[in-house]
Amino acid sequence: MRIKTTQIILGVLFLSLVLGLFYIQILKAPRYIKLSESNRVRIIPQPGSRGKILDRHGMIIVDNYLSYDIAILPSETKDVDKMLKKLAELLDVSFEAISSRYKRDLVSTSLPVTLLDNIERNKAVMVEELKSDLPGVFLQVVPKRRYPHQRLAAHVLGYLGEIDHWRLTKLKDYGYKTKDIVGYTGIEEKYDYYLRPQEGGLQVEVDHQNRIVRILGFRPPTNGRDIQLTLDLEIQKIAGQCLKGKKGAVIILEPNTGEVLAMTSFPDFNPEWFIKRPLELKETLSDPDAPLLNRCISGVYPPGSVFKVITAIAALQEKKIDIKKRFYCNSSIKIGNRKFACWDKHESTNLVEAIRYSCNVFFYRTGLLLTGRKLSEYASRFNLGKTSSVDLPEEASGYLSSPLRKRLNRFQSWFDGDTANLSIGQGDLTVTPIQIARVFAAFANLGKLVRPYLVKAIEAEDVSGYQQRNIPLSLKKEFFEIVKSGLVQAVEESDGTASIVRGCGVRVAGKTGTAQVTNRQSHAWFSGYFPVDNPKFVITVILEHSGSSINACIVARDIIRGMKDAGLL
Amino acid sequence: MKNLNLKILLVVLLINAIGIFTIYSSVFPKQAAGNISTYVRQIIWVVISLLVLLSVYHLDYRRLWDGVYFIYGLTTFLLILVLILGTVRLGAQRWLKFLWFNFQPSELAKLATVIFLARYFSQKSISSMETGARHYGIIEGILRPFLIICIPMLLILVQPDLGSALMLFFIFIAMLYISGVRLKYAIGVLLIFLILSPLFWHFLKDYQRERLLVFINPNIDPLGAGYTIIQSKIAIGSGGWFGKGWLAGTQSQLRFLPESHTDFIFATFTEEWGFIGGLSLIFLYFVLVFYCFKVAAKTKDNFGKLLAAGIASMLAIQIIINLAMTIGFAPVVGLPLVLMSYGGSSILITYISLGILLSINRKRSIF
Repeated sequence: MRIKTTQIILGVLFLSLVLGLFYIQILKAPRYIKLSESNRVRIIPQPGSRGKILDRHGMIIVDNYLSYDIAILPSETKDVDKMLKKLAELLDVSFEAISSRYKRDLVSTSLPVTLLDNIERNKAVMVEELKSDLPGVFLQVVPKRRYPHQRLAAHVLGYLGEIDHWRLTKLKDYGYKTKDIVGYTGIEEKYDYYLRPQEGGLQVEVDHQNRIVRILGFRPPTNGRDIQLTLDLEIQKIAGQCLKGKKGAVIILEPNTGEVLAMTSFPDFNPEWFIKRPLELKETLSDPDAPLLNRCISGVYPPGSVFKVITAIAALQEKKIDIKKRFYCNSSIKIGNRKFACWDKHESTNLVEAIRYSCNVFFYRTGLLLTGRKLSEYASRFNLGKTSSVDLPEEASGYLSSPLRKRLNRFQSWFDGDTANLSIGQGDLTVTPIQIARVFAAFANLGKLVRPYLVKAIEAEDVSGYQQRNIPLSLKKEFFEIVKSGLVQAVEESDGTASIVRGCGVRVAGKTGTAQVTNRQSHAWFSGYFPVDNPKFVITVILEHSGSSINACIVARDIIRGMKDAGLL
Repeated sequence: MKNLNLKILLVVLLINAIGIFTIYSSVFPKQAAGNISTYVRQIIWVVISLLVLLSVYHLDYRRLWDGVYFIYGLTTFLLILVLILGTVRLGAQRWLKFLWFNFQPSELAKLATVIFLARYFSQKSISSMETGARHYGIIEGILRPFLIICIPMLLILVQPDLGSALMLFFIFIAMLYISGVRLKYAIGVLLIFLILSPLFWHFLKDYQRERLLVFINPNIDPLGAGYTIIQSKIAIGSGGWFGKGWLAGTQSQLRFLPESHTDFIFATFTEEWGFIGGLSLIFLYFVLVFYCFKVAAKTKDNFGKLLAAGIASMLAIQIIINLAMTIGFAPVVGLPLVLMSYGGSSILITYISLGILLSINRKRSIF
């Protein structure tokens, strides 16, 4: 009989069992230990609330509220339809509404679906009390963004949304994960790191039916840090109201520090829509006028005549002209074989008058004396063609041409006509409103290029020291004074181009601009500062395709008047 | 050779004690007050079975030679009875209710098969003093015994209890081999079985097909048919070298692992005692099987020799299939782990088998 061989065969089988055990229990142990942990340990997240956003005086622009949401876990509910009917009856809402929302948001039966947001407190209490009759239905208390001022400063604030794939791959290493709520555009995006709350949670041990056996640990959530902006809520409100209905942008800066006091752009949106998702959001997203675009920093326009202040200061500094230098304007000038027009016949003007009347011929000639290279160099000193590095995302840099750049980028030679165009802010030159506001801040503070910024303090810690970066322009103060008198006359003299801004109860200096665009109406610019003697505010207004610069002046006037009336000056 | 008997008994009791501790641990969180706890019942069974073992030990095993037809008849009768009167549990009709306990006749069928085959293959030895099995042709060596064990096998298969039915078949193969039937016959039967096995697919119940499919890839149905094997692997794998400690195995304590005190008790045990524990237990089983074969090897009487070897291989096959299934190396078939799993019928039959084995060892010097 074959007993020995049977024993050997069985011995081999036993040995292979030992090897199998070794393979699973030792070689594969790390994997199975992890699986066993994920079997029994669940994290019940406890959301913290996002940091508040305040204005410079500590007034709330954005804060949070506790929203009582009703959610359903389909896997815990036997008959979802019946349960939804019961809920609809109980909470006095339409069954169709919650059922369509359920169908829309259902991803997997093991993930909860939110049916109702922000129900009333007494209803929430009711649901909590009837918990045992409503298996699978539960109450979630979620801190949510509240926008008490609705559309106000929407572009500065930005909005919130679920993290997208691109951001997730970029931010994964910083503790971001899928389904996280993150800021999009504006302060919400730029300062998301500070604003975002640290999610806390309850670590529980569950059994095979997902019932909680015991609590293993608890980490309280940490709220996000509050951010104080440089914005002045009152000024922001006035600016927003005055711009309403007109496509364009308004910026008000503090000229010595670069603090942004108001920044508004139209068409606008309501950040709340991104949380509540009403029909308006769909329209907003498909609107060809791009309501989400912050025109103050991302809108790119030719500057037109507001650029002339740079031509003026450059020529003075380079000693190409002086205050007494006069040019004759015969409503046009021939450069090369092209006629360059002025908008009027100004006859003989000096620099101050040329600014006051915004005489093109004077600046054509001045520009030609300066040469295109110098002009571009000075514009570059004022940081045109580069971002202002304001603390907001998605800032555009605009474009500043120069003889060299034209050669390199377009393979073309620079002609005198290019110089003439550049000297009145046309041609191959585009800017953003914030760049122009910066230029005028330098004229208001007589020679410092400030860096505009929006965040003043993070969680009560003043950060303006890090934010302020003033670059001295090394241009003579007396030249600024000369340009200034031109800017004052433009507003205060009845024949000045910006004379509409007169009579606001405060002396204003400023310059208009009518930036021509091919085939469409011109953009209207006004940029200036006030009070003249001790400038506290720089204001830049642009209205897209509004035709005459007068419209921009009217907006500026209304804002300044509104500020005066509100006692903000 | 009383010494060997004592050793076998010692190993058996040791494994049984480990089993009771493991059952205690696995039912620890679900003990309902008032009920007799599962482990207490297991202890009672062990005590009863031990008494039965001792009485079997004192009987002459050669009486089984004469009693073979009675045993065979009784088994067949009980198997038919279970189909008529049996209680349905977990979708299968396997249990007969006797007085106060549920008896599984398929357990008895395993032992009956061993006894029957032992007699069949040692029959001619009386005249020639030599095992006749090696001279058997196909009809005598394979077809006839196979047809006879086919009756209980089919009866078990329709319960349905694929695991036990397969056990009978494997016992048949093992006894065929051990008895010395021409090697090509034994191997041929195994090959025919393997070749025909795809045909059996059509006769399988849905849940049995699922079990086979999830054996190939448990992840096709992780919450359904694949659940048990995945949880079993997690339980074993997370044990590591030294385990999570007694009463501290999360997989069984939190009831992620089904059947944690019956068929999958090895997973419960190794989760809490680790590789060291698992290795020791496998070693104990090996020692037990080794001792049993030693009895067979020393026995001169052909019937006794074949009976002892048959009992040894019956135990070994059950142990190996159960362990392989728990580790995930074999498809899930409902087979308890001998001496560890909770269950009266299994314990009782195992003890009776061991009693016969010890009796063979006691008596073998007579011949």
